[in-house]
Amino acid sequence: MIDLFAHLPLLLAQHEAASHTGAGHGGVAAASAVAPTILPAHGSLPDWAGYVPLLPLLACVLCALCAIFRVRSKLPAFITVAMLAAGFVLAFLTYQNTTSSGTGQYAVVHLWDWINFRWYTPGEGHKSIVHAVIANFSFYVDPLTCLWMLFVTGLATLIALYASEYMSHDLGAGYCRFFVAFNLFVFSMACLVMGDNLLLLFLGWEGVGLCSYLLIGYFYQKPSAVAAGKKAFIMNRIGDLGLSMGIMLTYVCFGTVEYANLFQSQDFKAYLEAAQHGHFDYEHIPFLVQLIPVLFTVGAFGKSAQFPLYVWLPDAMEGPTPVSALIHAATMVTAGVYLVARFFPLYLVGGNPFACAADCWLFSWATHISALDIVAWGGAITALLAATIGMAQFDIKRIMAYSTVSQLGYMFCGLGVMGATGGVSHVFTHAFFKALLFLACGAVMHGFAGQLDLRKLSGVGFMKGWGIVAITMLVGCINLAGLPFITAGFWSKDEILGDAFANPHTRAIGVILLLTAGLTAYYTFRVFFRVFVGPKHYEPGDEVHAIQNPGGHAGADVAHAHHDDHGHDHAHAPGSESRGTHDSHDFHPHPPGIAINLVLVILAIASFAAIPLVSSYFHSPTWAAKLVLTSTAGVSPSAHEHQHEPFLGFSDAHAAMKVISGIVAILGITIAFFLHYLGRTTAATSRADALLPMLGPIPKWAQHKWYVDEFYDAVIVKPLRVLSHIFHLIDKLLVDGVVNLFGLLPRIAGSLVRRQQTGVLHDYAVRMAAGVTLVILVVILFKGGVV
Amino acid sequence: MNLLSTLPSTLAQAGFPAPMEPATLYHYLVVSALMFCIGLIGFLTRRNLIIMFLCTELMFQAAGIALIAFSRFHLNHTGETFVIFVLTIAAAEAAMALALVVLLFRRKETLDASSWMQMKG
Amino acid sequence: MRPTPTPPPPAELLLDGLISPILLYGGCILGALGVLLALPKRGLSPQIIGALVAALAFGVVLVGMGVKAGRLGLPNFNFYLFATIALGSALRVISHPRPVYAALYFILTILASAGLYVLLSAEFMAFALIIVYAGAILITYLFVIMLATETPTADQVEALSEYDRYSREPVVATVLGFMLVAALTTLMATGVSQLTRPTETAVARDINQLPGRVDAALRSAGLLHADESIGAPAGQESIFLAANDGLPEHVSIAYGNDKSQFRTISSDDPKWPSDLKLSNIEGVGFTLLRDHPGSIEVAGVILLMAMLGAVVLAQKKVELDEKAKLAAQNRSLAAEFLPQNSPLMPPPHDGSPNLREADVHGAPSGFAVASNKVGGAA
Repeated sequence: MIDLFAHLPLLLAQHEAASHTGAGHGGVAAASAVAPTILPAHGSLPDWAGYVPLLPLLACVLCALCAIFRVRSKLPAFITVAMLAAGFVLAFLTYQNTTSSGTGQYAVVHLWDWINFRWYTPGEGHKSIVHAVIANFSFYVDPLTCLWMLFVTGLATLIALYASEYMSHDLGAGYCRFFVAFNLFVFSMACLVMGDNLLLLFLGWEGVGLCSYLLIGYFYQKPSAVAAGKKAFIMNRIGDLGLSMGIMLTYVCFGTVEYANLFQSQDFKAYLEAAQHGHFDYEHIPFLVQLIPVLFTVGAFGKSAQFPLYVWLPDAMEGPTPVSALIHAATMVTAGVYLVARFFPLYLVGGNPFACAADCWLFSWATHISALDIVAWGGAITALLAATIGMAQFDIKRIMAYSTVSQLGYMFCGLGVMGATGGVSHVFTHAFFKALLFLACGAVMHGFAGQLDLRKLSGVGFMKGWGIVAITMLVGCINLAGLPFITAGFWSKDEILGDAFANPHTRAIGVILLLTAGLTAYYTFRVFFRVFVGPKHYEPGDEVHAIQNPGGHAGADVAHAHHDDHGHDHAHAPGSESRGTHDSHDFHPHPPGIAINLVLVILAIASFAAIPLVSSYFHSPTWAAKLVLTSTAGVSPSAHEHQHEPFLGFSDAHAAMKVISGIVAILGITIAFFLHYLGRTTAATSRADALLPMLGPIPKWAQHKWYVDEFYDAVIVKPLRVLSHIFHLIDKLLVDGVVNLFGLLPRIAGSLVRRQQTGVLHDYAVRMAAGVTLVILVVILFKGGVV
Repeated sequence: MNLLSTLPSTLAQAGFPAPMEPATLYHYLVVSALMFCIGLIGFLTRRNLIIMFLCTELMFQAAGIALIAFSRFHLNHTGETFVIFVLTIAAAEAAMALALVVLLFRRKETLDASSWMQMKG
Repeated sequence: MRPTPTPPPPAELLLDGLISPILLYGGCILGALGVLLALPKRGLSPQIIGALVAALAFGVVLVGMGVKAGRLGLPNFNFYLFATIALGSALRVISHPRPVYAALYFILTILASAGLYVLLSAEFMAFALIIVYAGAILITYLFVIMLATETPTADQVEALSEYDRYSREPVVATVLGFMLVAALTTLMATGVSQLTRPTETAVARDINQLPGRVDAALRSAGLLHADESIGAPAGQESIFLAANDGLPEHVSIAYGNDKSQFRTISSDDPKWPSDLKLSNIEGVGFTLLRDHPGSIEVAGVILLMAMLGAVVLAQKKVELDEKAKLAAQNRSLAAEFLPQNSPLMPPPHDGSPNLREADVHGAPSGFAVASNKVGGAA
């Protein structure tokens, strides 16, 4: 390893030299003069940029050592926080290096050769054709990478700090296991984001999936957690299949899986030029090339929980809350968005994968659907669907999960309406405020013994020690709801809405998104008004940390010890009001400690601090937009010229949306205020209950998640199970039957001669003598042969 | 003493006598075959392990007679040399077999070959 | 099989030239009947009649062979004597219910076989047979028979085991055995008919390599004087006996003060000793040591291994099975009630109260020397 790093500059230099010669070959200059700039200038980076993913890996190994040596302290958490903070600093330095020139540049940091096959086949004449599969362990750093790495490492550091307190009831093997998987996740995510080729991306892609599975199933003694882990893993397999097929197709079509070579290849530039002139027929762009983005979309929808593969994400909330915040809200689920943004030029090329079926009446409607349309409509449907489900849920963590699905749909819409900047900006802001919301919910869950039902909690913000949680929760809520002008969420959401309305073809999507924005504001503040304000009431959850303690060492005692630390203050605790389980007589909520509060405050500040970075009020283009535009996602399609047309009386669609989305958000908050705050006297009921009968069965359907799970069960799982039973029968009767038949024949033959095996010496001797006699008789009868 | 010193010369001539007729050889071979089969019959019918080994010695003996007869017929000593090795093997076999018989007898207190049926598959 | 330049004659079954098939196969059937009768069986067991029938069958076969053999082919009269004794006692070996008698009859078989050997001019092997078999191996057998015989209990009149008194499946074995006899004799008749008789000179010339023997024979015959010795001019052989090159047998003799003068003695000399031929033991010696030296080494290794094997087996501690354990337990129980210095019981083993140790003492006393060491490998 050390030797490797010693050679790193040399390798880097070689790689750069190779890249330069490759770039200088042929008519690249001529082609780039006509085609738009796909790639920013090729820069260089110090080799320490490669340490960013290796620091979490080192932390992972150290935590595993802690597990081996049975460390029963918070040492793994400290290691993790230190390493991840160092990683964040490195990522920040990398960002500064990358953007220092102002125009942005990309660099490839080569760590070591990973996959490097070359072979030759005879070509025309005496030349031989060189084939190569090259996927090195090297990192492709451009502004897009930097943006992702900044919030991944930053949030991971903060959430690790949060988890050091949150997971403290499970000190020992479980604590180490948590941080091992946590660090492995950060490493995998870094590989995913920083890898300079699709195979390294795929390695990270599978790595984050694995860590997600491990961490969802962290409480592996809980059947629902195990089932949720399996569900997430299996649903992700569908998407991963699409991604892996896309990677193979990429190699087939372009002969490389390295980003730099891919985006600079002659073929690709020709395709892009053809696409910008509107030539989407297969003579200009082969069908297989047009299919690649569709397959990538399948992968992205699986990983980012989009319709129809979104059902695993709400169930993934079985994992510990820090996991939900980091993996299932802020980082891993945005991997799909990263994939689409990274291959945005490819999406522009892959215009029309269904045109081949245009002659068939069944697919005639699909002839004008492009890959970006699929992304946009998938995102829009998901956003609306998840928002409606979120409105009807009672589990606050699940509401946050559905809101994550909904917001991810927003991001895909942003990408799909040809506005990569909006989608990526929303990823950035969403990462902060959604992590904040989850961590606040987690603090509530932690303090109230797993209680997550908003009907059983009320007025938490007025209880002693919960003020910071309530305030930061409010910050997260206004961000998610998109309160105008003062929240980062508003600006990034506005970007997407503006992009959607700017293009006449996508205005239907814009309408859906606007509706979703209103619903989002409503259900966000429904949670806030019911849980954090209103009359004080609580019932503890059923898991007084006992379940969360797989080691089985007196989890309840630890929990009580915590309660003792926070004192028996009966005066302020309205536990006397509580009714229901007898547990509640002895239960006292313990407010979050210093680490949790600190992280919440930092995140709240960060979500405000992000406003100047994404707000077009301060810079235009914004900081985030500049990062995106100087990366591979910065290709602007030539057809996208509608941005500055007047819209609804405003100067352009973006200006109109600033006003309209703000009004919609305030409307949603106001409805929530009237329904869930005013006139509410108990925790379990609100004015909204009176409205429910007027809506008929719709709330019930929404509460049951529109029966999507049941639908999947009936349409996919059950038939598959029946099919598997049939195959099992075929295997058992036919295949096994044949095999057993072949086994049976020797057995029958054996049973016939087995009784000859008496074990008596004389019988064997008789047979031996008879055999000798027989041999001699044969010799005599066939005389002349032997004698 | 006188008898012992003259025994070789009285029993046989110096050197081989006249060549042997095949018919004479056949006499000896028939005796050899009969003795072999008597040994075989004994091996198959007797259940006493020691007697069974005696029967194998009988079969060895039959083979020895045949070998000596052929040696005589061919007027060389190869057959006789072979009988020496037969004797060697017989002695080695007797030593091993009898040691085994004693072990078996100490284990079951019987010499009945039928009481050892562990060879059954 | 030595490769011959001319192709062998077409193989045929030439039984007719040696014995009438009817007599041979009739004799075999008769012999099978006789042996069957002679074997000990449950119920009626006319052993003497069986022996007589078997002898009759043997006689039939001998007569059949003798008729075809002609005057030259008939064996020595002693052959009939020894063959009858050998086969009769062999029959007794397999039919006598008492192992000790069987072994003694086997000695008789050996002695008769030795007689046959002598008739076949193999006197060295005859005596070796008697010494090794009758003297050594059979004595070992007798020892083992005595050691490994069950002591008779009170209700047993004879110390005869059930497995000694009755034959096991005599019909199958006898029929099989005499089918084998018929097959073997038929097959051997084919081979014997095709044999060609060699001359003896090839072996007999080995006498030329024994000058001391020739010297002694000539001296005792008075052909060699005190101041003479066998010798030839340098570079020449001195003894030319059993030559087949047409020259007469002769020996070159050196005499004179410095043995520089030579003369030749021919076999025409009237005083030529008649026994100046290679004897049987000399021939065996030459064949064994000159032609098969490697086989001697192999035989030696086999004997050594047999000795080692016997030692290892004798040392092996035996686990008794249930029945034998019970018997051993009874014995050790009986030992407790007997005085410790009772001459009836072997001395108790110190510190060995467990059954296994008792088993060692319960074994026949001649083998109770088996040590407590556990045998490593059988």
